Amino acid sequence: MLEVKKIKRLFKSGDLQVAAVNGVSFSVPDGQFASIVGRSGSGKSTLLSLLGALDKPTSGSIKVDGEDITQLNDHSLIRYRCQKIGFVFQSYNLVPNLTAAENVMLPMEFAGVGAKERQERAVTLLQQVGLTENEIGRKPGRLSGGQQQRVAIARALANKPKLILADEPTGNLDSQTGKMIFDLLHGLAKSEKTTIIVVTHDLEIAGKTDRAFQLKDGKLQEKK
Amino acid sequence: MNVVSRGIRNAFRNVIRTFSIVIILGLSIGLSLTMLIAHQAVGDKIQSIKASVGNTVSISPAGARGFEGGGNPLTAANLNSVKSLPHVLSNVATLSDRLTSSNSSLQSAIDAGALGKRFSQNSGFVFHAQTGEAIGVGGPGGGGSFSFTPPVTVTGTNAPTNLSAGPLGGGGTFTLKSGSVFSANSTADVALVSTSIASKNNLKVGSSFTAYNTAVQVVGIFDAGNTFSNNQVILPLATEQNLSSQTGDLTSITLNVDSISNVSTVTSAASKALGSSADVTNAASDAQTTITPLQNIQSISLYSLIGAVIAGAIIILLTMIMIVRERRREIGVIKAIGGSNVKVMGQFMVEAVTFTFMAAVIGIGLGVLAGNPITRLLVNNSSSSASVATPFGGGGGRVLRAGGHGFGALRNNFSNIHAIIGWNIILYGLAAALIIAIVGSGLASLFIAKIRPAEVMRVE
Repeated sequence: MLEVKKIKRLFKSGDLQVAAVNGVSFSVPDGQFASIVGRSGSGKSTLLSLLGALDKPTSGSIKVDGEDITQLNDHSLIRYRCQKIGFVFQSYNLVPNLTAAENVMLPMEFAGVGAKERQERAVTLLQQVGLTENEIGRKPGRLSGGQQQRVAIARALANKPKLILADEPTGNLDSQTGKMIFDLLHGLAKSEKTTIIVVTHDLEIAGKTDRAFQLKDGKLQEKK
Repeated sequence: MNVVSRGIRNAFRNVIRTFSIVIILGLSIGLSLTMLIAHQAVGDKIQSIKASVGNTVSISPAGARGFEGGGNPLTAANLNSVKSLPHVLSNVATLSDRLTSSNSSLQSAIDAGALGKRFSQNSGFVFHAQTGEAIGVGGPGGGGSFSFTPPVTVTGTNAPTNLSAGPLGGGGTFTLKSGSVFSANSTADVALVSTSIASKNNLKVGSSFTAYNTAVQVVGIFDAGNTFSNNQVILPLATEQNLSSQTGDLTSITLNVDSISNVSTVTSAASKALGSSADVTNAASDAQTTITPLQNIQSISLYSLIGAVIAGAIIILLTMIMIVRERRREIGVIKAIGGSNVKVMGQFMVEAVTFTFMAAVIGIGLGVLAGNPITRLLVNNSSSSASVATPFGGGGGRVLRAGGHGFGALRNNFSNIHAIIGWNIILYGLAAALIIAIVGSGLASLFIAKIRPAEVMRVE
């Protein structure tokens, strides 16, 4: 269960303070697939950073399974990101000199999973997202955009997180591949009972999620 | 795949850049090692020169060296005033004279030759054609024909067991061939004669010769190792003083000092005690003149070593900063998916260590190849400068000096410098590489620590 209460994130811009996220509150139960839409500069990525503990809010609380992540110290935040969060980025952000399998094994290494177990799980996850045995051993430079995003999704699932945060996961993909990726995420939300929050500006995608929010000038409104 | 293997693999992400960095860093480490090798070789040589000079202070009558110059002899009172100075362990007192046909039955073991005649003419004395006895005052071009037989040197000493260090002039090394050595306080009319004198005069242990109209018995025969030193006879100091009617007189005193670092102090103290009656010198001052250029090389090599290590550290530092800036987003991603600062820093440090160890292999190779030639080049250049800068030699071939080491002998050490390249040098090279890697990647690690994972979202 994700519970967000009155979070604010203020940035200084010269003498002024700008609220990128301004008193946002919402909650998403486990296994739900939610989307947040908004124009560029509306605060979508800032909100995602706060949910993923990449940044700290100026005020408010974010509870994941009852634990307020805004109160965690740096060491605990690293553990939180490692064990409870999975990230999927618009431009995939895979490590270029590691193979697809090694990229998926990376978060498991940080979580202290043994070498054999992470190798087996990485292969399983990559096969689950549709990569062939040959593609599993390739470096990102030798995979298509859709394949790279599949690897990124497998990496996000590596440590069986409670929450997957996806920032424009289909933004760099053609519509057909984008639909495949969306379907993959949707299916995972159901099969793995993982909460997935997708930030997008694609209203068509937003229309297909369980819940849809719109972020405008730092304020959140539920649309669906 | 772990931090170490990822760090090593990352070092080869850009092969051309890696190759360039490794070559430049290798040159830097090679220069460091070459300078270290030169520094050690020159340091060893300086120690060797200091050790070969010995811890001695030489005292001569003011204005006289051996049989040249003039002035009055040293006295027993002079010896008493310096032999108990602080840091003086022992002393060797000698009285040297010459035996000619007028006061001895001995025949010289050396023929005069052209040099002997010239030296004789320039000394201001003319010697009798057959006897070799001085018969008048002459001078260069003084006219008249004459012949000259070099006299036999006779030395009285109070240190018959330490003949190589003091009384044995001309740089000879005493080796007793037969018989025995007389005691230090002996007053008997006994002598040690050289193998050359013994051969020329048909002397054996137990036979006698005449000196100062007194029969002197041969108790031992020695070999001094060179022709000049082998033209001499050694008597007990008291005997020589008595027979030559120079009771209490001395022509040289050698003080043995406890440490080379105290030689200068003892020299000053002896000068003060003896005043203007004696010239006090030490071989250490000659050695210092000789080793000053070596010390300059040592300083240059040390500064170059430090400079090369700093240059290496700066190269790897700038490289790692460049790499960290280039991989800013990747670092953000690793942190976002659960990587800690320590793990990310460790990965980059391993990458830096990989660069420097590859460079160390090249650097050690260069150091081993260039160590000796560069050391010799530095020393030879410095040796030339030293030769021009210090024209004064050791005081002439007939000067009797403690230890027998003149400046020329010390200067010859320049050409004998040989750098020894052992495992310690290789270990120093690897240690230098490790230090360069840690120092170089240290600042880069601070940049890594400052990168916040949220930055990866902002560039999306």
